[in-house]
Amino acid sequence: MVYLRLALAALCPVVATVCLYLLDRRTSFGGWQEKRKQLLYGLVLGLASVFCSEFGVPAYGVIINVRDAAPLCAGLIFGAPAGVMAGIIGGAERWFAVLWGAGTYTRLACSVSTVLAGLLGAALRKWMFDNKKPAWYYGFAVGLVTEVLHMLMIFFTNMGDVQQAFTFVKGCSVPMILANSVSVMLSLLAVSVMGKEKLHLQKEYKKLSQSFSRWLLFVVLTAFGITSVFIYILQTSFSISDHEALLTLNIEDVKADIEEASDENLLKLTRGVAADIDAAETVDNALLFEIGAQPGNDFSEINVIDENGVIICSTTPEYIGFDMSSGQQSGDFLVLLDGERELVQSYQPLSKDGITYMKYAGVSLAGGGFVQVGYNAERFRQDIDEQVVGATRNRHVGENGYMIISTDNWNIVSDPHDNEGQNLEVTGIWIDTETMQENVRYKSDIYGETCYWMYAATEGYYIVAVEPVREVLLSRDLSVYVTLFMEILVFAALFAVVYFLIKKLVVENIHKINRTLGEITGGNLNVSVNVRTNEEFVSLSDDINSTVMTLKGYIAEAAARIDKELEVAKIIQSSTLPGIFPPYPDRSDFDIFATMDTAKEVGGDFYDFYLLDENRLAFLIADVSGKGITAAMFMMKAKTLIKSYAEKETDVAQILAKTNAALCEGNEAEMFVTCWMGILNFTTHTLTFANAGHNPPLVRRGGGAFEYLSFRPGFVLGELEQIRYRTGEVPLHPGDEIYLYTDGVTEATNSATELYGNERLLKVLNHARGESAEEICRMVKADVDRFVGEAPQFDDITMLHLRFLQKNMITVAPTMESITQVAAFVEETLENFHAPRKVMIKINIAVDEIFSNIVRYSGASKASVECSVQEKEVAIIFSDDGRPYDPTEKPDPNTAASADERDAGGMGIFIVKNFMDSVEYAYHDERNILTLKKRFEEK
Amino acid sequence: MTITKTLNTDELTIKVAGRLETVTAPKLEEELKNSLQGVKTLIMDFAELEYISSAGLRVLFSAQKIMNRQGSMIVRNANEDVMEVFEVTGSVDVLTIE
Repeated sequence: MVYLRLALAALCPVVATVCLYLLDRRTSFGGWQEKRKQLLYGLVLGLASVFCSEFGVPAYGVIINVRDAAPLCAGLIFGAPAGVMAGIIGGAERWFAVLWGAGTYTRLACSVSTVLAGLLGAALRKWMFDNKKPAWYYGFAVGLVTEVLHMLMIFFTNMGDVQQAFTFVKGCSVPMILANSVSVMLSLLAVSVMGKEKLHLQKEYKKLSQSFSRWLLFVVLTAFGITSVFIYILQTSFSISDHEALLTLNIEDVKADIEEASDENLLKLTRGVAADIDAAETVDNALLFEIGAQPGNDFSEINVIDENGVIICSTTPEYIGFDMSSGQQSGDFLVLLDGERELVQSYQPLSKDGITYMKYAGVSLAGGGFVQVGYNAERFRQDIDEQVVGATRNRHVGENGYMIISTDNWNIVSDPHDNEGQNLEVTGIWIDTETMQENVRYKSDIYGETCYWMYAATEGYYIVAVEPVREVLLSRDLSVYVTLFMEILVFAALFAVVYFLIKKLVVENIHKINRTLGEITGGNLNVSVNVRTNEEFVSLSDDINSTVMTLKGYIAEAAARIDKELEVAKIIQSSTLPGIFPPYPDRSDFDIFATMDTAKEVGGDFYDFYLLDENRLAFLIADVSGKGITAAMFMMKAKTLIKSYAEKETDVAQILAKTNAALCEGNEAEMFVTCWMGILNFTTHTLTFANAGHNPPLVRRGGGAFEYLSFRPGFVLGELEQIRYRTGEVPLHPGDEIYLYTDGVTEATNSATELYGNERLLKVLNHARGESAEEICRMVKADVDRFVGEAPQFDDITMLHLRFLQKNMITVAPTMESITQVAAFVEETLENFHAPRKVMIKINIAVDEIFSNIVRYSGASKASVECSVQEKEVAIIFSDDGRPYDPTEKPDPNTAASADERDAGGMGIFIVKNFMDSVEYAYHDERNILTLKKRFEEK
Repeated sequence: MTITKTLNTDELTIKVAGRLETVTAPKLEEELKNSLQGVKTLIMDFAELEYISSAGLRVLFSAQKIMNRQGSMIVRNANEDVMEVFEVTGSVDVLTIE
């Protein structure tokens, strides 16, 4: 019943804790200010403490309560302020509870320890548990320590009355310590289960501190156990030997008292007898009887012994003539013949018969010899019983022990329980001198209480000293309790200090080092470890720093080597790209320029351009995924493949599709390329292109602004086989421009991590109207550099600009008058190229023929004639917007016909066909395009 | 192109200098149309003719047609380039070239 009530009381702080926790987690209360929350926690748990205090459970003559658990819970679970507050509320209530009936004996101890419980909870949470809820077992430990403190407080506040204090402590310590510890533990356990959280300390250093605390706990518990057992054993044997000494001392005291009392009495009488004999004229038996009959001389025997040690007179006539030296007992008296004056002998059997007990005293006589006076047993008893009672009646052995004296036939002579005259058995003591030694500790139930006792026999008495076992072991129990309590406190403090020191000196420093190491492994070799709290960490820090320094040296060395290799790779890579500008100095009809600025490493960007024939220029820009040597190798492969397919295929989409298929083969590195490729036809003025995942180029057409050549891009090259690409086609006329770039341009980043972006690119391009391709690339690059500033770049910046120039061309309204103009233009051009006269004449004829045809038959509103000379070949392109007409299909005239039959109309084109090396017709964009070509060398 | 005419009774010598082409041919045609009346022998002196196009050929052919009816036409002193045109076009078989 008592335990049930105690268990219920112990649950009170648990319930209060759980309610508050749920309130915080599940209701709007969780959003309160922390200050107000702490106030409420403190108040509620303070009241829980008061409740536990008021509903204590009476047991073992004390009131057991669970008052300290609630403030501990407040401190450990809810925070330091709540703990302090709950402690003060609980403590204050206990202080004033005296007014309505609480005990005053432990008033101070209880009040102070409840306040301390709150403070302890708060302090531990703050300094040991990093403001986090501790694990449940720590809760148990803290509860234990707090209650032990409480118990010690009871001792310390009642130092003047240790025995009563001890009674209190002995009665309530175990249930109270257990109830409080379990209550705190359950509260923590409940909260951790509800929070579904680990209530451990910070997880990061769980390992070190946990193993440490485990070992520490193990060692502490072992030490605690060993010292406890040792103290118990030691204190027990100390107590018993103290107690034995006490009993012996008392017995010896009483024995001495008794002996002294009887000796003095007899000696006094003997002196009187000796004086009487010395005074008498003759010494004979009659005198002795006379002396013996005197009042006060109540002894039983007088013997007078001469100088020879022989009894000469005696009240017992048969002793006359007895030689004293014949027995040990009697022989002792012969010392009186050697000058000793007096001797008292103890109560002992006679030498004469060895059975009769007598006590003798002797005094030497003036006339030589000595007189011996003896007491028989009855006389002796009679003589000292009074003394014995006086010597023991008021004697205490320790606090509650006492002395009992009986005669050697077990008649009680003295007993504080007033049983004189009765047999010793009534006390519970049994003495058998045959089997039981004197001065040895025995244990019996004496007057209903288990006691230790000891006896000694003297002068026909048994002197018994008795002390209750309870009293003997009180001091042992007291010292064991106090020592255990102190040990718990000392070990708890030791544990806390060591734990705290480990955390402070080792764990935190290791964390510090780890953080720095993390930074170092993250790539920042410029940080250094600097933990200088103690020698070990200083040397560790220095070692790490020197390792990092060495590493830094190696890395720098390796980096320098790699840089050098990369530099070479970079040179090789850029040497594979067309790098001589202008690439076609004899082509006046386009202007192309490209640059690639690789970031620090070898990049994966590339550009390329080449004339597929004199009328078609292929140009492309590409970006290989990744960086470094692998990207560069992949780039080479892609570049070569594209070029080889470009020479075979006319369709851009096909070129990319085949390149893709080839790149996919054995692409172990999982790399890919984005690529934009275009083919510009100078004669048809069309641009065909295809895009494999690259950003679209910017084009300026008809003198407008640059705009994106948007066209749905295909998939990147090298990732998936069987990809189809689409070919786009747009007109691109002389004067138009196209700008290709990689994302390194638009994604160049400044120190504020802003991107260069499309807007800036468009702005600078549109600003550069009429500039050469090289100048445009230079301007864009300069603008990007300005934008980027000091920020390092990680991507290649690659761009290609192509301007389709106004060619060597004349555009006229096709009339008879303009023929002369056209002829003059062509002639002038050819003269500039120093064409041979014969070629010039043939071309003049051809121009005349073709252009006159256009004038006469095409119905065109505009016609243009372009004339270019390349590698000793003249190309003349006639272009008109008239009705489609292919003169090459006109049948050859009959050159054998007579003049009358001649149709001169077919003759012109016939001449042209004969005079030119080639005549080609095409119809594009609603224009007739006729291309004539003539090499310088005559046929 | 310049045209120089020399009429010696019924023998007309026309000297063409420069280029005989689309633009200039009509001028020669016009000249011939006005001058061939009563001419028995037409001599085209091409010594200073640079080259000739099909437009010039057509003029020559029409002159040839006329002269076939009233006499004969002789082309003289044609240079290499002009001759080449004549040869290509088969004119050498139609025209009388000296």
